[in-house]
Order: sequence, then structure tokens, then C-alpha cells
Amino acid sequence: MARQIPKPDEEVSPDRWEAQLRKGALEMAALACLWQGRLYGLEIIRLLESQSNLVVAEGTVYPILNRLKEDGLLASEWVEAEAGHPRKYYALTAAGRRRLRQMAEAWENFAGGMMRLLKPVLAKAEVRR
Amino acid sequence: MTDGREIENYLSELRRHLGPMTLDDREEIVREIQAHIRDAAEQNGASADDVLARLGPASELAAEYREGLLIRQASRSFSPLTLLRGALRAATKGVAGTMAFLAGLIGYTTGVGFVLGALLKPFFPDKVGVFVQQTHSASETVGATVASITANGPRHELLGLWAIPLFLVLGSLTLLATTVLIRSVLRESRQWQLRLQPH
Repeated sequence: MARQIPKPDEEVSPDRWEAQLRKGALEMAALACLWQGRLYGLEIIRLLESQSNLVVAEGTVYPILNRLKEDGLLASEWVEAEAGHPRKYYALTAAGRRRLRQMAEAWENFAGGMMRLLKPVLAKAEVRR
Repeated sequence: MTDGREIENYLSELRRHLGPMTLDDREEIVREIQAHIRDAAEQNGASADDVLARLGPASELAAEYREGLLIRQASRSFSPLTLLRGALRAATKGVAGTMAFLAGLIGYTTGVGFVLGALLKPFFPDKVGVFVQQTHSASETVGATVASITANGPRHELLGLWAIPLFLVLGSLTLLATTVLIRSVLRESRQWQLRLQPH
């Protein structure tokens, strides 16, 4: 009961701002996972975990996939697996690919500017350590 | 098997909290989460406890599925009540939602007013219509009134029975425009969330 939300490598629980930031980025990250081809939910979660530390609770990924599908950015299909039960695979739609590309460009712009701005802040933190 | 029992409990809890969705949508969600639990347990050899803990509480998971559901459903509806409810929810998220809600209130009231006027015209021909009224300063004021109470003063009605089709057309147009407006704002509000940089 104590660990309802696993926190991989942080001592401090993320505050509201950080939680919002993660949540906002998670949609783009989930879309990005599918750039190379279709995956099912757990594969997307594992990819997110290994490539980024965006996932806080695994459950949050599924509602996001659901919403992206309703927005027409993802398509899904149930595929009978060897495992004995079907899995729900997600793939980018044409609109999803377009949107992801737009998002990636906007993100690059945004992150680049932000990093320039934060450079002195981060440098100071390093010195203090 | 206590593991199976635990998973069953989790899934029925999830089902219960998903609430007002179509049965198909709900069962599809439960089926997907069920597949996740099975896969996660098999691939990592994790206990059901662990897998469920990493998913987060069923009630929170359901809440995230429901988030924005009202707005999304409303954006596909034509019912004024549903649309206004959706707009009210959208109003908690931004100025556009607030404007849509207010515009909706005004639009629906005006539209219904016109239609009511058209319906009442045959019964109260002197009280419903577009009036030109003589005031003290001799200037003229024109106003469309439904059951005007300021009955004194010389005034005359401009439209006669033409008020009925005119009011019906104006009323329908107002109602239609209001519906289209709220729907497009609700639809847009989701698009804004998807954009990274607000302009």
C-alpha cells in the first residue's frame, strides 16, 4: 500500500508543476514511440521507461493512448498473439504523423530556447555541488 | 489463487469507476488493462501486487480516462443542455470556454425568445412585435419586445403577422449559430491541449 506510485530515481516527489510538465510531454512521447511502427501498450510503456523518465504510474499511459485515438492521431487493432490473449496494437495515422512532426519541431524550438536561458542557472547549480 | 482474485477486484473496481461511458468503450478499456496485467506479470515475473501497484489505483486510472470525456462528448452533441454543460466544464480550463458558455447562455435565450415571440404573436398581436415608440423628446426608439409591459405612449407595430416567420427564422438561426459556436470551441479546446506552445 505504501508505494502506490513508483518513483524510479528521485528522492523528492515531483511537485505539481513537474507533474504537469511530464503529463504534457507524455502525449508527444507516446506518439514518438510509434514513429517506427506499431506497438502495444506495454511495449510503449517499456520504451518510455528505457528512453525517458516520463512515466510515473504505468496506468497514465493507457488513458493518453485512448485520447490520442479519439483525436484520430492513433489507430488501434486487436491482434491475436502467441501469448494466448489478444493485444491492442497502436499505430500512427497519417494525421498523427503530421501532428508529431509539428510537435517535434515546436519542441526543438522551445527546448533550444529554454536551454539557452537556463544555462547559467544550471552552471551555478553545478558549482554549488 | 489469490492473485487472480486481486486482479478481478482491480478490474471490477476499474469498471465501476469508469462510469458514464458506452458499454463497448468500457469493456475495451478493461480488456486492454487485463492484457497489460497478464503481459506485465509474465514478462517480468512480477507479482500481481507489483503489477497493480505500478498501474496506480483503479479509481485514479478511471478518472484519467474520464478526464475531458464530458467536453469531448459534448462537442459531438446537439443538445443545448449537454453543450452548455460541456462549455461550463471547458470554462474551468480557459477564457475561451468561459466565453463559449456565456455566448451559449445568451444565444439560447435569444433564440428561444424569438421562437416564443413567434408562437405568442397570434395570441397577443398587440404585445409582440417590433415597435416604434414616441418618447417625450420626440425621438423614436425601435425595439423588438416579447410581451411588452410599457403599454402606454403612442406606438405602432411595424411587422404585423410577418413577425411570425421572421421571428421563427431569426430564432432558428440564432439557435443554430449558438450550437455551431459551442461545438467548435469545445472541439478546439482539445486541440489547444495538444499544442505545445499557446499562441
